[in-house]
Amino acid sequence: MRRLRKWGRMLPRQLSLPEEQPTAADETAMVSPELEANERYLRDVFQDCSDLVYRSVRLKAGSELLVVFVSSLVNEQIIDDHVLKPMLSLATDVPATVDDCADALLTAGTIERTPSMTTLIRKLLDGYAIVLVPAGHNAITVKASGIKQRSLEEPSSEPVIRGPRDGFIENIAVNMGLLRNRLKTSRLKTESFMLGELTQTQVIVVYLSGIVSPALLEEVKTRVKGIRVDGIIDSGYVEEFIEDLPYSPFPQVHSTERPDAVAAELLEGRIAILVDNTPFVLVLPMTLWTGLQASEDYYIRWPIATFVRWIRFLFIFIAIFAPPLYVAVTTFHQEMIPTNLVLSIASSREAVPFPALIEALLMEIIFEALREAGIRLPKQIGQAVSIVGALVIGQAAVQAGIISAPVVIIVSITGIAAFTIPRYSFANGVRLLRFPMLFLAGTLGLYGIVLGFLGILLHLASLRSFGIPYFTPVSFGSLKDILIRSPIWARTTRSLPYERSGKDQ
Amino acid sequence: MKPPMKPPMKPPMKPLLCLCMLGSLLILSGCWDRTEINDLAFITGSAFDRTKDGKYLLSVQIAIPQGGQSTGGSGGPPGKFFVLSATGVNASEAFELIQKQSSRRLFTAHRSVIFIGESLGRHGINDVLDVFAHDPRQRLKTYMLVVKGETGMRMLETKYPFEQVPVEAVKELERQRTEMAVTLRDYFIAASSQGISPVLGAIESERASSDGKDGAGNLFKLAGTAIFNGPRIVGFLDANETSGFLWATDHMKNSRIFANLSGGKGNVGIQMHRAKRRIFTHMRGDKVQVNIQLEGVASLVENNTKLDVSRPDNLAIVRKALEDAIEERVRHVVNKLQKQYKTDSLGIGQEIYRGHPNQWKRLKNDWQAKYPEANVSVSVKLSLLGAGMAGPPLQLYDKEIVK
Repeated sequence: MRRLRKWGRMLPRQLSLPEEQPTAADETAMVSPELEANERYLRDVFQDCSDLVYRSVRLKAGSELLVVFVSSLVNEQIIDDHVLKPMLSLATDVPATVDDCADALLTAGTIERTPSMTTLIRKLLDGYAIVLVPAGHNAITVKASGIKQRSLEEPSSEPVIRGPRDGFIENIAVNMGLLRNRLKTSRLKTESFMLGELTQTQVIVVYLSGIVSPALLEEVKTRVKGIRVDGIIDSGYVEEFIEDLPYSPFPQVHSTERPDAVAAELLEGRIAILVDNTPFVLVLPMTLWTGLQASEDYYIRWPIATFVRWIRFLFIFIAIFAPPLYVAVTTFHQEMIPTNLVLSIASSREAVPFPALIEALLMEIIFEALREAGIRLPKQIGQAVSIVGALVIGQAAVQAGIISAPVVIIVSITGIAAFTIPRYSFANGVRLLRFPMLFLAGTLGLYGIVLGFLGILLHLASLRSFGIPYFTPVSFGSLKDILIRSPIWARTTRSLPYERSGKDQ
Repeated sequence: MKPPMKPPMKPPMKPLLCLCMLGSLLILSGCWDRTEINDLAFITGSAFDRTKDGKYLLSVQIAIPQGGQSTGGSGGPPGKFFVLSATGVNASEAFELIQKQSSRRLFTAHRSVIFIGESLGRHGINDVLDVFAHDPRQRLKTYMLVVKGETGMRMLETKYPFEQVPVEAVKELERQRTEMAVTLRDYFIAASSQGISPVLGAIESERASSDGKDGAGNLFKLAGTAIFNGPRIVGFLDANETSGFLWATDHMKNSRIFANLSGGKGNVGIQMHRAKRRIFTHMRGDKVQVNIQLEGVASLVENNTKLDVSRPDNLAIVRKALEDAIEERVRHVVNKLQKQYKTDSLGIGQEIYRGHPNQWKRLKNDWQAKYPEANVSVSVKLSLLGAGMAGPPLQLYDKEIVK
């Protein structure tokens, strides 16, 4: 497996924590047999945390227990029904012990005992309730997490006409369940990590044992383990830490909101990384072709899927090359255009004061701004933006002679072409490439376009995602899922030859 | 876990060097001729004429880009083109003078037609031709035409209703290949080959019925072939002769041919589908024997005789009449070329060169003298594929029809 180029990104990041938690006691604190001592310790640690609840319970027998939980993280119904009610209703003569409590008093499902105060604090922050019992060296933790979560909806970033409509949500347990639901096999293995010094975000590496390449798995685990950062907010953070070439415009890790896509890619021998608090799951290694496939390709009839795929192949070229070609041909190679067309282009450019390059750049930037505005604005205003954009740019600017009509046409086609790319992050990379290509075309003409194309090609050919070349499945046998989407019964091999490329070091 | 790898130290100059090399690649490769499309004057046609004092008059027709959003405005439509001209001792000087009159850079790559005025053609066109072979910005697929009886400049000023730019119409006329269509490339090939003289298409302007304002009511009309001997025009073939010439030079495309049946029985017309020509040359001592074999496939499209052509023997009569007519026509052309113009435009010398290279070595020096004496025979073989929809003419009574 190829080594990381920039291992330095994995080195511990300086935690610029101010002198926080001055009262925090030492890390190795243990649960004390004295209830007051424990309570004092907790109150000390969670100073100024108003959502921490300390509820003392007096049993009928006279002994007193302390239940502590973070009210914003737990489902209070669970605590009422399975912790407090049984305690208050059950009568025992003898003072309760930790074992009694755990075995008889609590009716909750997941119960653990721990002597470590550090563990207790973490559990509290995970949405557990803890029960402190006098005269015990252990405390009981009861799982009662009950944070509100949204329901499963169709992912707005990757909609399909035909196909499952559920998408990942922000809860990692639910996401894991969605995967388990699709892959009902004990081969579906998971390995959990806690990343982020302050966020303590759960990150799960998921794979199908027996299918995944062990070398690849080892590399992924190494890279994930190596992440040192104070916060992981989204899987994008993880992606940036583990990708091979951070300076490439092309994503080397595929992120998706669709459980069906992840399940399918796991079956191909890929590895998924689930990150808590984000619906975007990372799948790796990624190849160029992943960027051009929609999961719907596999749900509709194969000739249609193949046709759609070809349309995408065509339009990715248009997305990169249409404006540069226009600029190059109209400023350097006027002899290439048919006479009638050259006259009509020239006539529509009569009133335009800018060179074609500036014009195209202007339009492209305006288009990108419109796109960005359309995404960021609330839905209702987003409509208005597109209407204003269409009217102002398409009609008024042309009539005012600021922009020529052919450029508007070219930019619109380019915009549409970029939207045919199903993977959002991949489409972003393609869109970005258009600007250097425009400059090349505007300064060097077709020669510049050829140079740029060669550059892109060389970059793609040398790009690797976790040791797998970006162009990977281009061998005769595996073209069955690249150039055509062959029928599923005709595909008997997995598309990624991991083992072979695992050898190149 | 493997230990982190440190990248090897690189010399700090290397990226800088790479950038410099890349930069010089961009700058020094001579690709800075950026020109906006609306800073160009698109020449759509040129014309060369000879002035009285022996200089060359170059005229160019420049298209005026218009249309798009500006249409619908008040006032009459401005001209769609205009003509600039200048005189000089050669084409370059004249071109330079025209450039000085033009606010935009003259751009010749879209030129489709070059007119040669007849007087210049008779004087010799070699001096104006070299610029097309030397200058890389010229296109060899440009059509070249001789303007019969007029100056090329007048031709450029002709307005034509169909096309935005009148010269485009000439290009389209040439593309139909109903008459001689010769490009610069064809001309150069013929002029530099052994045993063949170049020809050019000829064009004249025809007065249309409408008002007689200057150039406004005129149309273009292809007018046969200009026969060159060396760089000079020695004569023309008219439209009829040109069609025979086209077949004899194997340039016949689908065109229509008609023939009168002997004895005043009427006439027939055919539409050619395929036409082929073969030339066989024999050397009998110093005597050159040439046999031109013409083969054609055609279908009958008109029958103004009383014959019922659905009967094979009647069709044979028609075919014979057509073959005779074609043979007569081609023989006439060959005769005219041999006797009147004494120019080997058909390329008979070239055929001898190909068929009998050794004899050609002997022959080529006085081919000019030998050529008119060459014995040329023409044989035609026509096959008629169909007799059309109706056998006998539908407008005749049954008893009038010759079965």
